[in-house]
Amino acid sequence: MRITISGGAIAIVAVALAACGGSSGGDSATPVAAPTPSPTSTPIVTGITKPEAFRFLNQATMGATQAEADRVIAIGYEAWLDEQLTRPASLGLPHVQSIAPPTQNIQDLHRDRVDVWFRNAINGGDQLRQRVAFALSEIMVVSQVGALGNLPYAVTSYQDLLVTRGLGNFRDLLDAVTLHPAMGVYLSMLGNQKPNAQLNIRPDENYARELMQLFTIGLVELNLDGTPRLDAMGQPIPTYSQPVIEGFAHVYTGWTYAGAPSLPQARPTAQNQVVPMQLYASYHDTGPKLVLAGVTIPGGQSGTQDLAAALDNIFAHPNVGPFIAQRLIQRLTASNPSPAYVSRVATRFNDNGRGVRGDLAVVVKAILLDPEARGAATASTGKVKEPLLRLTQLWRAYGARAADGSFRAFATPSASLGQGPLQANSVFNFFAPDFAPPGEIRNAGLVAPELEIATEYQNTQVTNAFRAYTFNRNSRSAGLSADAIVIDIEAEAAVAADGAALVSLVVDKLLAGQASPTLRSEMLNLVGRYAATDAPNRAAQAIYSVVTSPEYALQP
Amino acid sequence: MSEERMKRRELLALAGPTAAAFLLARPYDAIGQMVGGSAPFNDYRALVCVFLFGGNDSFNMLVPRSAAEYGAYAASRAGLAVAQADLLPIDALNPDGALYGVHPSMPHLQQLFAQESAAFVANVGPLIAPTSKAQYVAKSVPLPPQLFSHNDQQGQWHSLRGGTLSDTGWAGRMADLIRLNVASQQLATNISLAGNSLFQSGDETVAYTMGATGPLSFQGFTGLGGEQRRAFERIINASYDSVYARGYAEVQRRAVDAADRVTTAIAQAQTLATQFPTSPLGQQLQTVARLISVRDRLAMKRQVFFVSTGGFDSHDDQLVNQPTLLGNVSTCLQAFYDATVELGVAQSVTTFTQSDFGRTLTSNGDGTDHAWGGVQIVVGQSVRGRRVFGQYPSLALNGPEDVGGGRLIPGVSADQYAATLARWFGIAEADLAGVAPHIGNFAERDLGFLT
Repeated sequence: MRITISGGAIAIVAVALAACGGSSGGDSATPVAAPTPSPTSTPIVTGITKPEAFRFLNQATMGATQAEADRVIAIGYEAWLDEQLTRPASLGLPHVQSIAPPTQNIQDLHRDRVDVWFRNAINGGDQLRQRVAFALSEIMVVSQVGALGNLPYAVTSYQDLLVTRGLGNFRDLLDAVTLHPAMGVYLSMLGNQKPNAQLNIRPDENYARELMQLFTIGLVELNLDGTPRLDAMGQPIPTYSQPVIEGFAHVYTGWTYAGAPSLPQARPTAQNQVVPMQLYASYHDTGPKLVLAGVTIPGGQSGTQDLAAALDNIFAHPNVGPFIAQRLIQRLTASNPSPAYVSRVATRFNDNGRGVRGDLAVVVKAILLDPEARGAATASTGKVKEPLLRLTQLWRAYGARAADGSFRAFATPSASLGQGPLQANSVFNFFAPDFAPPGEIRNAGLVAPELEIATEYQNTQVTNAFRAYTFNRNSRSAGLSADAIVIDIEAEAAVAADGAALVSLVVDKLLAGQASPTLRSEMLNLVGRYAATDAPNRAAQAIYSVVTSPEYALQP
Repeated sequence: MSEERMKRRELLALAGPTAAAFLLARPYDAIGQMVGGSAPFNDYRALVCVFLFGGNDSFNMLVPRSAAEYGAYAASRAGLAVAQADLLPIDALNPDGALYGVHPSMPHLQQLFAQESAAFVANVGPLIAPTSKAQYVAKSVPLPPQLFSHNDQQGQWHSLRGGTLSDTGWAGRMADLIRLNVASQQLATNISLAGNSLFQSGDETVAYTMGATGPLSFQGFTGLGGEQRRAFERIINASYDSVYARGYAEVQRRAVDAADRVTTAIAQAQTLATQFPTSPLGQQLQTVARLISVRDRLAMKRQVFFVSTGGFDSHDDQLVNQPTLLGNVSTCLQAFYDATVELGVAQSVTTFTQSDFGRTLTSNGDGTDHAWGGVQIVVGQSVRGRRVFGQYPSLALNGPEDVGGGRLIPGVSADQYAATLARWFGIAEADLAGVAPHIGNFAERDLGFLT
């Protein structure tokens, strides 16, 4: 009963890797022992401190809360993770389908999609699933921006896919992502047809390229530790060539919405945009296809057989482990993991200890339990906390809710935060994994992906948004509409006359009691400038000062 | 760390207090380069980069209309070809007499071209050295890595880095090179209205980013008698152990430093009679025009603006979407040009496009895929207009530039394109290779499209 939703993991023996050959020790690496010696289930004293619990929860959830920290401290990291793995997935589609579709602008349903995304992110009991799904949504990107603007059900369903399968097997995830109509539309595999020599028409290469470049193996061959392999000339080795892209492009032909009379006649409906695409055999190319590792998929196979062979071929590539390890580490714990950290996680990807490759639950546990995530923080461990997670942490810590119970008032977070749930501007996500801001970080050879959207303009906007969501949207604000999302500041208001007590309470809830002397003294200074009886502004001020501070923007 | 910054701030005070925020805090040993002056520019020049994200299918934007060349185009493009009768004819002054038309959605561009305020640069793209098809096949010349990939080829256009790992863009390097000539500017040379870009990333200077309609102010900062702002500044100026907290605080510092100055200046911008399209690109270019109108208030002598518009990755529905996209580019370029005329700076402002790559001449059914060389637009009164520069390629499949599927090897390089713009901007001949690192590999250092 460790994993309730596994989607029937396919056991692919690590030996299959040997076929690819040449990988630097990927086959022979000794599995690293489970790194953290925490107890698994007995509720003994774990010795975990509150700052340690907060650090862990800001990596593993949509934002640390006191209640969840208590649970971690009580049962330990690994038991907490195991408990999370049993939690049922909080989904979005049932909610969006329960809304009467607008007769005019179907894209308005994205407001309900984002509403339920926040409901699950803030209140869902499956916090690990929600956080991993959010991470995956920034790796295997689809977005409301563009053609999916008119397909809100598809985007909702894609998020549900990530929530339900994000801790299953990566090979299953590949299958589901590939055949999901949201991805089909976003990267134009949907409707892709076999070639027509008379009309100079060849298969669409979009999905063929991005699935490899962005979702699975990347552009250059990697060592197990995520560093590039180099050729005899000291140059990186490309993972694929244009003919390989073309081979995969031919694989991904013949698929569109299920249940259509024929491929060209397929049109999206509320029903067919939330179920896997279907093969229309006469539009599938049946020639042989060059794929990775010099393999040619033989001609004459069905589209389903071709697809399985192609995804098996990608899944077996030795890059997948280090590539996904690095991407997930960057989304969850660290912008600049050491090669050893990547290697330890990639090793678990390659073999979960029971001969299964691609077990994401084990990979995520390896990421979160690694000594580099759990050990002492240094100047370059951790990462910048992206704006959306800064907001969800605040809202979780302060029980944010609207009188009508919805989050519909916040349908376009990207307008104020520079990002929103499945709202990236392109398949390249809101920021690039290798973004290095000029100055100290770049000069040190480090990266800080989240700082790509931390421009002067965007930071000002985020700072102003936090002003609105503290001073103007709290449980003491008057005259708000029923959908206004407010934070609960009653506990703060109760102690607000005592500046020191107020500051301690807020620092406790948002920073696990650890604020720099400057932040603490400035909070006291500012709080003290309001009348002792002005509890709402005192409370809002203290919270605002924390959530706009550099230390809150850090995920240590 | 804070001590180093202090020293740097003291040094920068010598160069002019307002410049400090736009120069990067760097280790002390690098600052020696700042000593020793260059004469300030006494004229004003601005470059405006319009980046067309996704890879513009530009061989549908500028199309040959003579019978044989159009025939080759139509045969290659099949279902995606623009009908010959629909092309908006233009009469280039090129001595070769070649006939072209522009996409039917671009009458404003046709007009700019006819009045000699716009030109095209044909078949331009990232190259490390001149490259023939035989050399490409034999891999006997170095090639930009990861051809046909969006972010890599955007990166090439932005940085011209070739096979190196350079983290700077060519506009960032221009700003670095002229930083002493513009020491009294109150704003960064590089301004982005479209987010962070590698294009404007420098080693010595940092771009300032604002929104499509201009900068924002921090709300509530005047509160508590100004203490709200002062406390905020003390918090972001505190020392932090983490590089990420420091990196975040650094952006906040630049934002706070500039916000008042820019919002105050732009509030005094000239009201323009020119009407701009309401599209995001139109808004961005309108803001650029307004910023240019207050250039003297901010003591600006050299500026590079980065604006962008997306959606050009036309794998699907190209015939439906491309007319809207190109039409928007055309009307926005016209409006912006008109605004520069209204402001009396049309000769001092040059607008140019860049895009990830050109697209395959062949179709994937209803769209096109990633390719290489393409056509770019340059606009302004310093442009030698009504001409097609570079080398318009054969559009026949398997032609001399086609490496497969109608992916064309560029005839001129992005380095040559950038070097031409950089010279006009005022970069010294000896420094051009610092902007366009591979310019020495090409015989023509200047493509001739600017006077």
